[in-house]
Amino acid sequence: MTGPCQNFQLPAGVRDLLPGEAGARRQLEQKLMDFFQSWGYREVLTPTFEFIDTFKAGSRAEAEDSLYKFIDRYGRVLALRPEMTAPIARLAATRLGHEELPLRLCYSASVFRYEEPRANRLREFNQTGVELIGARGVAADAEIIALAVESLLEAGLKDFRLGLGQVAVTMGVLHDLELPEAKVARIKAALASKDLVALERLSEDYSLNERQRSSLQLLAGLHGGSEALDEARSYFGDTEAAAFLDELGAVWQALQAYGLEKWLFIDLSILRDFDYYTGIVFEGYVPGLGVPVCGGGRYDDLLAQFGRPCPATGFALGLERLLTALGEKFSCAGKQGYLIAGDELEILLNRARQLRRQGTRVILGQPGENQQQAEARAAAQGLTLLWLESGETICRTVC
Amino acid sequence: MTMALPKGKLGQESLQLLKRAGLPVEGVATEARQLVFTFAEEQGRYLICRPTDVPTYVEHGAADLGIVGKDTLVEAGAEVFELVDLGFGLCRFVVAAPRKRWQQAGQSFAALMAGSRRVATKFPRVARGYFQQQGMSIEIIKLHGNIELAPQVGLADLIVDIVSTGRTLKENDLVEVAAIFQATARLIANRVSYRLDYQRLAAVAEALRRAVGPEEGKSC
Repeated sequence: MTGPCQNFQLPAGVRDLLPGEAGARRQLEQKLMDFFQSWGYREVLTPTFEFIDTFKAGSRAEAEDSLYKFIDRYGRVLALRPEMTAPIARLAATRLGHEELPLRLCYSASVFRYEEPRANRLREFNQTGVELIGARGVAADAEIIALAVESLLEAGLKDFRLGLGQVAVTMGVLHDLELPEAKVARIKAALASKDLVALERLSEDYSLNERQRSSLQLLAGLHGGSEALDEARSYFGDTEAAAFLDELGAVWQALQAYGLEKWLFIDLSILRDFDYYTGIVFEGYVPGLGVPVCGGGRYDDLLAQFGRPCPATGFALGLERLLTALGEKFSCAGKQGYLIAGDELEILLNRARQLRRQGTRVILGQPGENQQQAEARAAAQGLTLLWLESGETICRTVC
Repeated sequence: MTMALPKGKLGQESLQLLKRAGLPVEGVATEARQLVFTFAEEQGRYLICRPTDVPTYVEHGAADLGIVGKDTLVEAGAEVFELVDLGFGLCRFVVAAPRKRWQQAGQSFAALMAGSRRVATKFPRVARGYFQQQGMSIEIIKLHGNIELAPQVGLADLIVDIVSTGRTLKENDLVEVAAIFQATARLIANRVSYRLDYQRLAAVAEALRRAVGPEEGKSC
């Protein structure tokens, strides 16, 4: 606490990106956005802040605590966007309301959450993702999951897995418990945070019967490939949950046919954070990175809140986490170029323009430096020195 | 597979349980200078950490599994999977007050709270959560140890602390006025490791669950 600037420290949860880091991030972002475009997803961008109502649609009440909120001159509450799905749903229902469905949209934007900065979690971070709006069924779910896998491959990740869950199965099982809402909420919280100790205790406290208990255990513990799915399907017989499992099975088969099976597994305990997911959900995991690198799923109820009821699915990649997972694989490319120096500025400027027009990187030398000094500077920066004197040109390759 | 183990009494009991579960523990000591023990054959590794650091190692994925008291886990607020109640290390979170104040309040919790402004604790998150749930507003004073001292010198009116036998409270003329919750040691897992390496980690969890036995696992 020394003076107004506090030694120019940054607040918790935000950070600077230095030349190499910013370059790597831009390069990765561009690669992903180009890839999304090649699948027919068109880029959109919504404002950094807007009325809080947009962000409240579909998310839990507690989520409001993590919004950065402020008030405009008319006393209306605004907030910085905490994610991109709700604003894009708003866009799809309003300004893009006349466009035919399905809409394929993609984005890359900073989002803001006022949360405790913990493991790999920032208060300002980037989400790069896609939304497929107005399409339901196996084809749409399979497209989004395939795109997620291929995006991670495109980014350069080799070792990763995508876990698939189906929220509707969990909802069905919870519904069949026939418990009051508050109790269901506690069981759901235990399932979502995979607190198996609490789950067992709640089962006891609420005197659930054997069948109900084993259903919950199956939800919490089912993990594997198509065999796990078969196991669950035979267990749920012909209940409502079985139909949702069949849907997941069909998506699995489609992805298998597409050759992506080895990147995938089924885990019914994957429920994601938001309450707005209604169907198949998924998360991407990288060994050694303690948090998911991407996540998404089906959210069929959100668009109705903006007045255009229609199904939708999508996912977002965490660019910072992806960069951490990729490690040192990216570097600021394009180190070649010229250092142009000499005694007459006019000559330097004109020659530099000529070279830049050819697509070469040119850096102007320091005025007053002699040829030796310029040579040393060029060598230090890995550049080729172009020393220009009035009338004659001496070009020397330093590196 | 990397497992974070706590130093101290909890660590010793953890080792006994791991042994009972058939996991390699030969030569592992929680109080030695050595902090990493590797079992190449079983592809396993133990990290010896301060108890309060175990959730951090697991949350970041530096360890896949960890053993930690529920008290520490709740206070850390870490996002980890909680797999098994290991039964040992039983202790209770309580609100305690000096005997005199408790008597002045006619042994009524409401009356006591009405006259209390500050609570000293090593567990601010637990204390804040509890008083919020009770609808009471109170100032939390975070201390790092010897919490019993705070009411004696007027730093706080009450304390929130963990007790196992209750002897420390008695020796300092404090009485338990409300129970918050009971805590035992837990097996926790990193949420990515548990999904990527499910077969192995689930097998370890199952082995520990069986080693705990049915009667011990129902402590709270």
